[in-house]
Amino acid sequence: MTKAKPSAALGARLSLQAHSRDNVATLLDAQLECATIASGLAIDRGIPFGHKVALCRIAKGSEVIKYGVVIGRATSAIRQGEHVHVHNIA
Amino acid sequence: MYMSTISHDVPIGSGWRRSDGRVGLRNHVIAFSTVALTDRITSLAAARVKGVLPICPAFQRGLRGADAALQANMIKAVIAHPNVGAALIVTHDRAAAETLEADCLELGKPIIVLSLIAQAGMQSAQDAMVAHLQALKAEIAESPKTALHFSDLTVALECGGSDATSALAANPAIGRFVDRLIAAGGTAIVSETAEFLGGEAVIRAQSQSEAIAQDILGYLCIEEQMMRSDGTNYRGVNPTAENIEAGLSTLTEKTMGAFCKIGSNRFAGALPFGERPPVAGLHFMHTPFFSPTSLTGMVLGGAQISLFAMGVYNPSGMPLAPTVKICGNPKTLSNWPDGIDLDVSEIITGGSDYDDAANTILKLIGEIAGGKDTRAEEWREGQIIIPISQLPL
Repeated sequence: MTKAKPSAALGARLSLQAHSRDNVATLLDAQLECATIASGLAIDRGIPFGHKVALCRIAKGSEVIKYGVVIGRATSAIRQGEHVHVHNIA
Repeated sequence: MYMSTISHDVPIGSGWRRSDGRVGLRNHVIAFSTVALTDRITSLAAARVKGVLPICPAFQRGLRGADAALQANMIKAVIAHPNVGAALIVTHDRAAAETLEADCLELGKPIIVLSLIAQAGMQSAQDAMVAHLQALKAEIAESPKTALHFSDLTVALECGGSDATSALAANPAIGRFVDRLIAAGGTAIVSETAEFLGGEAVIRAQSQSEAIAQDILGYLCIEEQMMRSDGTNYRGVNPTAENIEAGLSTLTEKTMGAFCKIGSNRFAGALPFGERPPVAGLHFMHTPFFSPTSLTGMVLGGAQISLFAMGVYNPSGMPLAPTVKICGNPKTLSNWPDGIDLDVSEIITGGSDYDDAANTILKLIGEIAGGKDTRAEEWREGQIIIPISQLPL
């Protein structure tokens, strides 16, 4: 099932999708100026270590899934590649 | 649905099969002091016989109600534990010794009960204990081992010193191993009730029945009432400002960081402290969050080994069962190399994944069953602590 292997491709941020159902991934490095993750997905710059990024668009009110479970819901529409945290989920 | 995968119940090592059918990963001779009065003399005697494991948990007299029953049951659970091959049981008075002797009649392992008051003199009493320990050690030295299967294993799942790496490396790696263990007919216990607050929806979704979910949620309710009576509002202060700065957005996300140790399995039952799971599968146990206490509950509930996820270093363990310290934090790994059994930091840096880690855990358990000491065993780490709820008489 889940392939949790993160790839350390050059010039891309290290990130980990904990479960195949997840719509967020956790960033695992401090390359804040870098704007892509290893899968090629473009992400916002400046997302800190340990914080989450949206792997797809998440509509307002929709489930935010990490570890394969619902950890919260979007309190505003979240773009693909956007920082996901207390400002847009609860 | 879980029974269909029993075919994966392959031998993973060897152990000692006890008369109750359980298999020990260790064949300890224990010097067990059942009351604090005899702790010192018992530990002095144990230190004189190589390989003897002293168990001196400062047990009290004057416990009341449920506390008294719990302590009495936990004494029996120590002696009956599958990792115990033989036991010298020390108590103070003759009446207590008679009760203990009666309790041990059907355990089918070499046991000697000694009443301190029936001895004469500190040195002579200690010498008598040493002689008994040497005899017990000789008696079980040649005990044959049998194959150890997945289905023989009860594994305690623990975490301590948790940080961002535990939630992404050590805990999910344990979860992946537990997926295999449960699929092959094995048993796992996860505890620390306070850490489950915020995971209610997951408990409902990952229980085999509504009744089991309600049993677990009932324990959460007891825990939260206890917090409230102390004026603590756990949900109101979690995730903490520090958690939020570290990237955790919701209480459920924080809870899942520890909860992911259970993998994708469903709970087969909810247990009170130190109780043995009646069926195979994943079990919840109601324990305090302090790791030596929660490990005591799970090991006395029959776990022969524990998997302990760490972020920052945590030295605890439970002396009766090997504790496998698993860490994904590069700084902790570099500072505490002699205290950690398994490095899973490559999950974070990209060199490996959860399946690799699960394979390594399996291999390590086989080696430990084969006699390899865990770091906690090397350092003789660990305590037995039972949760006492009322002032003794």
